[in-house]
Amino acid sequence: MKTISSLALAAALALSAFGAQAQDNVVKVGVTRYTTHSKTNGVSGIGVPPGADAETGDATTVIFVYERLFTPQVGLEFVLGIPPTIKAKATGSVAFLGDNVLSAKNLAPTLFLNYHFFAPGDTLRPYIGAGINYTKFTNVKSSLASDVKLGDSTGLALQAGINYAITKDLGLFASVAKLDVKSKLVASGASVLTTTIDFRPIVYSAGLSYQF
Amino acid sequence: MRAFRSLSPWVFSALLLAACGGGDPSVPGTGSPSGAPTTKGSFTAVVSFGDSLSDIGAYAPATSLAGNGSAPYFGGKFTTNETSTGAPDANPLGKVRVENVAASLGIVVTPAEVGFDGVSVKCPAAAVPALAGTCTAYGQGGSRVTDPNGIGHNPVNGKGALTVPVVTQIANHLARFTSFKDTDLIFVWGGSNDLLTQFGIFLAAAAQIQADAAAGKLTADQANQALFAAQTTAQAAMKVAAQELVTDIRTQILAKGGKYVAVMTLGDAAGTPSAQPLPVALKPVLTSLSQIFNLWLRDGLAGQSVQIIDTFTLFSDISANPAKYGFLNITTPACDIAKISAVTGGAVTTGSSLFCNATPGAPYNGLTAGADVTTWFFADDVHPTTGGHKAWSDIFTAQLKSFGWI
Repeated sequence: MKTISSLALAAALALSAFGAQAQDNVVKVGVTRYTTHSKTNGVSGIGVPPGADAETGDATTVIFVYERLFTPQVGLEFVLGIPPTIKAKATGSVAFLGDNVLSAKNLAPTLFLNYHFFAPGDTLRPYIGAGINYTKFTNVKSSLASDVKLGDSTGLALQAGINYAITKDLGLFASVAKLDVKSKLVASGASVLTTTIDFRPIVYSAGLSYQF
Repeated sequence: MRAFRSLSPWVFSALLLAACGGGDPSVPGTGSPSGAPTTKGSFTAVVSFGDSLSDIGAYAPATSLAGNGSAPYFGGKFTTNETSTGAPDANPLGKVRVENVAASLGIVVTPAEVGFDGVSVKCPAAAVPALAGTCTAYGQGGSRVTDPNGIGHNPVNGKGALTVPVVTQIANHLARFTSFKDTDLIFVWGGSNDLLTQFGIFLAAAAQIQADAAAGKLTADQANQALFAAQTTAQAAMKVAAQELVTDIRTQILAKGGKYVAVMTLGDAAGTPSAQPLPVALKPVLTSLSQIFNLWLRDGLAGQSVQIIDTFTLFSDISANPAKYGFLNITTPACDIAKISAVTGGAVTTGSSLFCNATPGAPYNGLTAGADVTTWFFADDVHPTTGGHKAWSDIFTAQLKSFGWI
């Protein structure tokens, strides 16, 4: 939370320092493939056989992006997607429990401070960004427990992308981002299962951008 | 000021933790009780609720030497028994934990209800007016938390064990004594027979699943899923039992004046001789049923003014270090199945210690050759010898001391 507020503060300072320029707003809409490479610290709980584990799956969703450019190179970008449903399958000694032991929607607003290479007007402009991701899990459900909670996660976000200008305003973008998303799971049914899931998502996005 | 300011969030979170009984509020069962007395009680009664582990002779008439329900009795408690008249006496043989703890406090305690086969007498000690207030040992072998049809009770004709459930035992105490008193030392140890019942249901289901799998009716995955489901069903039932017990403790004991209340967790049944014939793979299921019960017991008692005596941990220590408690044998029942069958004319084939007499030389002595009731822990497949009860008594006394109650 501290990081979020200092980032916001930095953004506000940047805004006031640089003032408005021509074409300093960018909106994007795109399709995102949210691929997870999850690891847990093992599922623990009474009655859980040794070696029980779970693995999260991938999801596809639509994202909306707004970037405010403070200089021709530096911008602050806010990314918000329609929360996709992430499912988890049982693995290890409990693989027999199947492919859908947990599902949750993840609302994952992400803030990046981007650096754009080359100059405005160039056809291809790569960019890199670093920032912060906040992930909140909603609609958490499990066939194994009546009450499941997945904790919120705040973590580092890194991305690299490229923008291809079709016209002065309109373009195509593609990006890949790595997020740090860790969440503590507490599933209470007859027993109480706990684990910490490190989702380790790599997010591939592509879509349209519009600059004004 | 600076120190105060930087400290205050910690103080605040400590207060919050204390308020909710500590632990991680997001994880059920990690909290602790709080607010139980920390000062010595002036006890005049030991009020004990539970099952065979707290039974001080409810079924003595079933062991009538004359066979007509009248004294003398050759058994009557779930331990290695003395021959008795059913009246309190000083003989250490056949003494069980509730009696030992009471005796160490100079308190006389007698069974709240005595009978068998549908016939029973409440507070038989009241025949001696001076003892009318002593019949506060409610534990009965086979009793469950809320289900009146406990183990050994025939639900069709009401014969066999009485198995008055723990919640009814508590209600009976309130009916007789109106409320709990500050001078009552209260013990609640229920759930063992719910565990044995649920595990029995699980075992039957598991046997069917294994048979179906062997016959090719189920794939390995389907069999595992079915076993998992059967295990979950048993666990869910243990959760219900624990929550029902907690509700009753809160609304019928604590809310009715109970001040010095000790609640016991369930020990690990997998550490008893009863679990020895089980396939290795099923023992963890048995253990998990105790743990599930204990988890929800703790969860419900978090922040409640009781003390928990964690017999799960305590029994695990006895199992792992028998010599520390003076035991040479913690695996073999001291009572002989064949002898008990002979003594009961073939009526009791389980070797139940209820019918196990340890009087040396008695023709109805049921001990295994070479068994020693002080150095062997188990009388039968789940119940302690008098030596086992003595160990429990010492442990309970130490716990009461650690609470500051005695």
